[in-house]
Amino acid sequence: MGPSASLESDIRRVGTALFEAFPSHRGNPLKALDDRAMDLAAQDAELRAALFRFVDVVPACRSLDDLAAHLTSFLGEIDEQPPSLRAAMRMGDTKAGRAALGAAGAAGVRHMAHRFIVGEDPQAALPVLRRLWRDGIAASVDLLGEATVTAQEADRYAARCAGALETLAGAYAQMDAQPLLERDASGPLPRANLSVKVSALTPLLRPEAPARGQRDAAPRLRALLRQAKELGAHLHIDMESLDSREAVLELVLNLLAEPEFADGPSAGVVLQAYLRDSPQTLDTILASAQQTRRAQPLVVRLVKGAYWDHEVVEARQHGWSVPVFERKADCDANFEALTARLLEARPLLRVAIASHNLRSVAHAIARNELLGGAPGDVEFQVLRGLGDDLGQALAASGLRVRSYCPVGDLVAGMAYLVRRLLENTANESFLADQAQGVPVAQLLAAPEASLS
Amino acid sequence: MTTLAPFTNEPVLELRRASERTKLADGLRELRLPLQVPVWIGDEQRFGEEIVSTDPGRPERVVAVAARATPAEADAAVATARAAFGAWAATPVGERAAALLRAAAWMRERRASLAALAVRECAKPWTESDADVCEAIDFLEFYARGALELQDEESAAPAGAQLLQVPGERNALRYVPRGVCAVIAPWNFPLAIPTGMTAAALATGNTVVLKPAEQAPGCGLRVVEALRAGGVPPDAIALLPGEGEAGAALASNPDVATIAFTGSQPVGLELLRTAAQPKDDARQLTRVVAEMGGKNCIIVDSDADLDEAIPAIIDSAFHYAGQKCSAAARVLVHEALHDALVERLAGAVAGLQVGPADEFETDVPPVIEHEAQERVQHYAAIAAETGEIVTGGPEVPADGWYVAPVIATGLPPDSRLLREEIFGPLLTVEPVRDVDEAMERIDALPVALTGGLFSRNPRTVQRVIDRSPVGNLYINRATTGAMVGRQPFGGNRLSGTGTKAGGHDYLLHFVEPRVVTENTVRHGLVV
Ligand SMILES: Cc1cc2nc3c(=O)[nH]c(=O)nc-3n(C[C@H](O)[C@H](O)[C@H](O)COP(=O)(O)OP(=O)(O)OC[C@H]3O[C@@H](n4cnc5c(N)ncnc54)[C@H](O)[C@@H]3O)c2cc1C
Repeated sequence: MGPSASLESDIRRVGTALFEAFPSHRGNPLKALDDRAMDLAAQDAELRAALFRFVDVVPACRSLDDLAAHLTSFLGEIDEQPPSLRAAMRMGDTKAGRAALGAAGAAGVRHMAHRFIVGEDPQAALPVLRRLWRDGIAASVDLLGEATVTAQEADRYAARCAGALETLAGAYAQMDAQPLLERDASGPLPRANLSVKVSALTPLLRPEAPARGQRDAAPRLRALLRQAKELGAHLHIDMESLDSREAVLELVLNLLAEPEFADGPSAGVVLQAYLRDSPQTLDTILASAQQTRRAQPLVVRLVKGAYWDHEVVEARQHGWSVPVFERKADCDANFEALTARLLEARPLLRVAIASHNLRSVAHAIARNELLGGAPGDVEFQVLRGLGDDLGQALAASGLRVRSYCPVGDLVAGMAYLVRRLLENTANESFLADQAQGVPVAQLLAAPEASLS
Repeated sequence: MTTLAPFTNEPVLELRRASERTKLADGLRELRLPLQVPVWIGDEQRFGEEIVSTDPGRPERVVAVAARATPAEADAAVATARAAFGAWAATPVGERAAALLRAAAWMRERRASLAALAVRECAKPWTESDADVCEAIDFLEFYARGALELQDEESAAPAGAQLLQVPGERNALRYVPRGVCAVIAPWNFPLAIPTGMTAAALATGNTVVLKPAEQAPGCGLRVVEALRAGGVPPDAIALLPGEGEAGAALASNPDVATIAFTGSQPVGLELLRTAAQPKDDARQLTRVVAEMGGKNCIIVDSDADLDEAIPAIIDSAFHYAGQKCSAAARVLVHEALHDALVERLAGAVAGLQVGPADEFETDVPPVIEHEAQERVQHYAAIAAETGEIVTGGPEVPADGWYVAPVIATGLPPDSRLLREEIFGPLLTVEPVRDVDEAMERIDALPVALTGGLFSRNPRTVQRVIDRSPVGNLYINRATTGAMVGRQPFGGNRLSGTGTKAGGHDYLLHFVEPRVVTENTVRHGLVV
């Protein structure tokens, strides 16, 4: 057997074992969202649109009546209404009916939101974080917020981050030891871990003037890095749409190269495999890591990318070449190629594989084994509410797992919630395939990249 | 019959990539100024120094030096264009279209340099100057195709030209050019708008005398160069740099068949008045295609997503310092959101960077000229006196025609600021009880160019669509940035003659329909 054939058989072995380890046996993460609405939404594009528009507007509604008015007018745009919807529409005819409908709608959305959002603020999130830690799962907390359009909002967001770092560092210090989560071949790993978005730290990100947002965000991010260093926490900078990639990546790499950060904190960036030029971005990251030797290696979180539709639409509207892969298999194949490069780049970097795709994850595990890495030498990351089963299966298999846990109120959470819901009712989503009961062998098949 | 690939918009540069930004910066470095702009009639050029355009951000930097056309020169230009009309009108539409497409190619090869010129001459920031060049190219491509659809004898007749046919008679409707078209262009889309109006006239077989704005003769020169390089005969397109006097001479010349005008309301109304009173020796009624100002309102309902509304409002009101006819001037916001919106808008404005147009970081460039600066400052003073200015205003460079972007609230209902077009970075915000009240206020305005609505309720959206008088209504997005072929642009009421630049029926204003009915019965036989 050649290396690739043996890798494939390793992936099947690892993947099948992982699948068996899923807590809810059929391994259907969407079943947990017991809402029939979601099942319906996945099948019916109009209904899906209505549901998302409703979820999106819930926090802006001023009363139950207002909620009901929105709900019925979204549903009113659906051509063929299932009987349950017709009943809902009829409820909209009376005031009492609207109150009931509004209350039910809001409760449904709140219920959904609670699957993805662990608390209104970091303090409220602690019980969930403690439980995860006890189960052998680390976390990265993400503070949801409204868009930052003013300097005051950026300051407020930075202050919330600072508060979160304090709270997390304090709480995690009290927790019991979890050796797998606290050390890898490169040394100790921080317990407290916060993910931040640069777009929340400055209102001045301009695609055509990246330096401007960098200058404005730098002091706020620098202060957070200092604080993370003091507290021994990890700070991860999320990646957003391509419009801000240059600003975000340069900013982070430049700040980390400042002498005061040579011996800390632990910090990380995100690499998006859906971008066609992501291999070159990895070159940039590697070159920077070579140049700036830091006590704690830069963590690179490999993702596919959360703004696929946005990137495609934006490029089409402007007549630009689409910057993301347009075939899912190309994106998945690139994810695997980048996984291999990242794993081979250790110990210059630390690697976090963030995916709910059993194949992508199994590939990373098998590749790590092939390279002689210990199980704890690569981290797996999942999103709270979507990747819980996978996370538990990975933890049960002795792998290092971190759950990405959004924190925030309903208003702030809606944009996040809509993105997650969209992702999971999308046709080309691994989770959707899994939910529809696609056989495990097929789920684990190698992505066939198009010839290029 | 000529067939062309379907129209697509010229893509703007992907300026989020550093390599694309470098192209523009190189274009600026290679720009040789000042340009010398002649009165250019046929092959005759008269240079002069009577008009000087300068960089609004550095008024001592001269961008173009132009001759000022005299009324006699205006008449000479019209006479030449009139003499050339027959031949150009008789040129097959396919050849006319091909000339426009070559002009588009000429511009495409010089995109960076043309954008750089607009940056310098009109202080139009990079993203918008680049878009201006693209729009100019779009107009050439779009109207070339439109003329083919309308006039190509071998192609299927356009829908409007399809006539009922009965035995023994042959009916045909053709669209023929009207004659000489005087194009009177503004400076705020210094390449796109003159190119658009000129291209529409030329494509359909008219000859043109183009009078660019006195603030932007350099850009006007490039437009004419492009068309001539593309193969439009010199006599069919004259360049007439000049001021009001030249415009007035064109307007009152009885040989001008069509006036295509984009600019201020007083001038537009004056043109309409003149045209409405034909002289005794007139042989044709002058048609006026006029695009004038607006007082553009954005409604923000209680269910709007402010995260989206705020950046869109800021773009609409302050990009290019509010100097677009589509720019937002008034926000009418549901009272429940008023305070939050005002606070966040004010904070966002405080972060805007006021600076020279050639810096990619600039949000708000200088306004076009000293007079404009004084005008906006005057309105800001009224706002401070009769209402409240909620923006501290970002810092403003000392030299150049800069004004701080301003948001004003609490103005009395009869305030001039809620009626008059300011054409600068001044936005007013007023609370409304609900969308219906907002619609009443909008309906009370005599102008109706663009409008905006932020709402997430489909019923509200429909209600506003049904009641809105404006020519271009934008839902949940900025009110500026209309694209050729996608958002045909133009206002209603006193904002314009209801024409839609970049739309399919625009060319109809430059032609007249002629119907020929031929009896095909001869001695009882249909031949
Ligand atoms: C812990 C964690 C942190 C994350 N942080 C970030 C972040 O900072 N920035 C960010 O952008 N994303 C982030 N993501 C989201 C991530 O990018 C993916 O959107 C998500 O995880 C789905 O990918 P998957 O591998 O799990 O599932 P899969 O179902 O295998 O992949 C779905 C993904 O494939 C891509 N895709 C879909 N259709 C096509 C197509 N036709 N052609 C090509 N590609 C297609 C899209 O990226 C889509 O999200 C994070 C995810 C996790 C788990």
